[in-house]
Amino acid sequence: MSAIPARSVSTVKPGRAERRARNRNLFSGLLWSSPWLIGSAVFVFAPMLMSLYYSFTDYPLLEPPLWRGTGNYTDLLSDPTFRRVVWNTTIYAGVSIPLYTLVALLLAAALAGGGRITALFRAAIFIPTLVPLIASAMVWMWLFNGEYGLINKLLALLHIRGPAWVVDEHWVPVSMVLMCLWSVGQGVVIYIAAMQDVPRQLYEAALIDGMNAPRRFLHVTLPMISPAILFNVISLTISAVQIFAVPYVIFRRPDGQNPAGHYYSMYLYENAFIYGKMGYASAMAWMQLLVVLALTGVLLLVGRKLVHYSRL
Amino acid sequence: MATLQHTSGSGLALTRRAALGAMLAGAASFALFGPRGRQDIPAGRIVLDYWEKWTRHEGDAMERIVNAFNASQSRIWVRYLVVSDIGQKSLVSIAGGNPPDIIGLYAFNVTPYAESGAILPLDERAAARGLSLEQYAPGIRRVMVHKGKWWATVNTAGSVALYYNRAAFRDVGLDPDRPPRTIAELDAMHAKLLKLGPKGELQRVGFLHREPGWWSWLWANHFGGRIFDESTNRATVNSPECIRAMEWMQSYARDLGPERLKIFAESFGNYFTPENPFLTGKVAMIIQGPWIANLIKAFKPDHDYGVAPFPTAAGAPADAPVGLIDTDVLVIPRGAKNPDAAMEFIAFTQRQDNTEQLATAHCKPSPLATVSESFLANHPNRGIRVHYDIFKSPGAYVPPRTRVWQQFKDEFDTQVQRMWRLDATPAAALAELQTRIQSLVDHSTDQQLRRYGDKGSGGAT
Repeated sequence: MSAIPARSVSTVKPGRAERRARNRNLFSGLLWSSPWLIGSAVFVFAPMLMSLYYSFTDYPLLEPPLWRGTGNYTDLLSDPTFRRVVWNTTIYAGVSIPLYTLVALLLAAALAGGGRITALFRAAIFIPTLVPLIASAMVWMWLFNGEYGLINKLLALLHIRGPAWVVDEHWVPVSMVLMCLWSVGQGVVIYIAAMQDVPRQLYEAALIDGMNAPRRFLHVTLPMISPAILFNVISLTISAVQIFAVPYVIFRRPDGQNPAGHYYSMYLYENAFIYGKMGYASAMAWMQLLVVLALTGVLLLVGRKLVHYSRL
Repeated sequence: MATLQHTSGSGLALTRRAALGAMLAGAASFALFGPRGRQDIPAGRIVLDYWEKWTRHEGDAMERIVNAFNASQSRIWVRYLVVSDIGQKSLVSIAGGNPPDIIGLYAFNVTPYAESGAILPLDERAAARGLSLEQYAPGIRRVMVHKGKWWATVNTAGSVALYYNRAAFRDVGLDPDRPPRTIAELDAMHAKLLKLGPKGELQRVGFLHREPGWWSWLWANHFGGRIFDESTNRATVNSPECIRAMEWMQSYARDLGPERLKIFAESFGNYFTPENPFLTGKVAMIIQGPWIANLIKAFKPDHDYGVAPFPTAAGAPADAPVGLIDTDVLVIPRGAKNPDAAMEFIAFTQRQDNTEQLATAHCKPSPLATVSESFLANHPNRGIRVHYDIFKSPGAYVPPRTRVWQQFKDEFDTQVQRMWRLDATPAAALAELQTRIQSLVDHSTDQQLRRYGDKGSGGAT
């Protein structure tokens, strides 16, 4: 902070030299940030505006767009595949986010202490998040294979006949949620960092008050790390609503898409780049953006009541 | 820190110099050591970019043709690039106005690309290079021509037929030289070939509609029906023939049990692996293209297989073999920089020696009407004449030529899965599908009329 010279508050009109210096500073700042500004304008905001326009058109990509008003949006409501992907995505997000958060919190609580063994476990839990999504999807396909998969082999040792995890429509959502836990290490790291930031004296006070470990976790740890939980839940919500790569690799097969493994972003992609319906896909993308914004807004509102921001 | 504040001006200058220096060093390194084209292109040649989808031995075979072309003349140089998801990338490159000069697409791409004017008609350029439609087998021409114009040439082509395990036939006392000719015979042979384990689990089935399940829409064609009528632009998925075909498919799921089938299907390996269920003997008869001979050669060279046209049901025309023709096509996209040079290369690939060389490597029949006897005699697929007969047969059919085919097929596959799981009767599922598909077709037609008026499309007229 000390590298930035402090300005004295003055009512004296800035001199010419000072104004020039300020303009020069502004120019330098804009110049250095211009790659990002230009990049964002050209590659993010302009395409977003164009996609908003396309969402009101019939645009097969190879031909010019034709205005059709809200036709794409009304068609979505009567599209059975759209309803199915919305349902699948909702179920996935609704189950995976709480489960991921719970597992990450429990693991973080268990691994927040020091010690070499703990460090080893932390590394072991984090490493899977470094594996590329496609590679991990391929691994899971084999782990979940009904006949040769390791999971069913282990279940067989317990005399349990494992299901056809990635084929049976009843088990596909379960397998997707389990696969989501593969990347739980990311949440664990964030929660451990937050837990280590909790002031020791709070735990000491809780101990004096006679709280046992679960109550200390519930009444001290959780409130103190609640900003990190909110951040993680918002990130998880955004990624769950946009789930794409793993189910695309596993469930879109040459013999047809497994309906139970069909998610919102997959159908959006299919419309845009396989069916050549860019207008329809743009409408889907804007619906998705609005849903993500609404969910984020709700989470932030809830966070106002539940998240504890104060520091000692 | 005080020093930093005091000398902020010179510090900034130093930082700027360092940053600029780092950028220049990066740019210089990129120029000196950055990625290079794999080929040294001789000076003065017209360079054509050719995108193709094949990898492994299939890609190598095409690359040999490209190399032969590059060596055959000194005017043009074709740069061969293997591209995954070629349909999507072609779409984007054409829409963006920066396509390659030649693209190797699939037959089902021809209709939407032609109707939207995304590919160039070949009639005049092909004629100038001495190509004519009559050079191609009759069934193949239907892929190349759309609404009276010639849009694509075919570099490799396959037809779909019944492959059966002769050893399994012998095991159960069936004559390996007498494959099924009718659906009723296929059913009887399937029943005979069915093998259950001690707990009633499936160990071998005679036939399975969902293996490999790539063409779940085609059964209607073997019951005398079709799923789309091009002349009226109407889906016909709930015609009596289609319903009968799907009832036949569903009867297998009902007899074998959906749960038992799920477990059985999970034991199948991927298509191009030694665990392919046709190679392991778990499925004795499958519907397949000629390329499966490459798979057999790679993983089980002693596999004793036979090939026959896929049977037809009673009431369906049986005097000529019935089979799907599925091809790979070469097209010149709109915006190609050198369409004439591209046509010269395409014409080279269509020479009889080159088509036969490529077809042999891909284990497919040649798309041409005339083939050398040595091609047929030395072909690695023992059933190549069956596939070739389908090319010439009036019973041959191609995927429905409609702009919405990709979504049509996906929706069809979804309904097939419902029927296979016994979640819906064919009549109900197909009625639902009919409404859905027809609305997609009608919407597409309406948009075309709005866009082009009576002309009907941006390219094909």
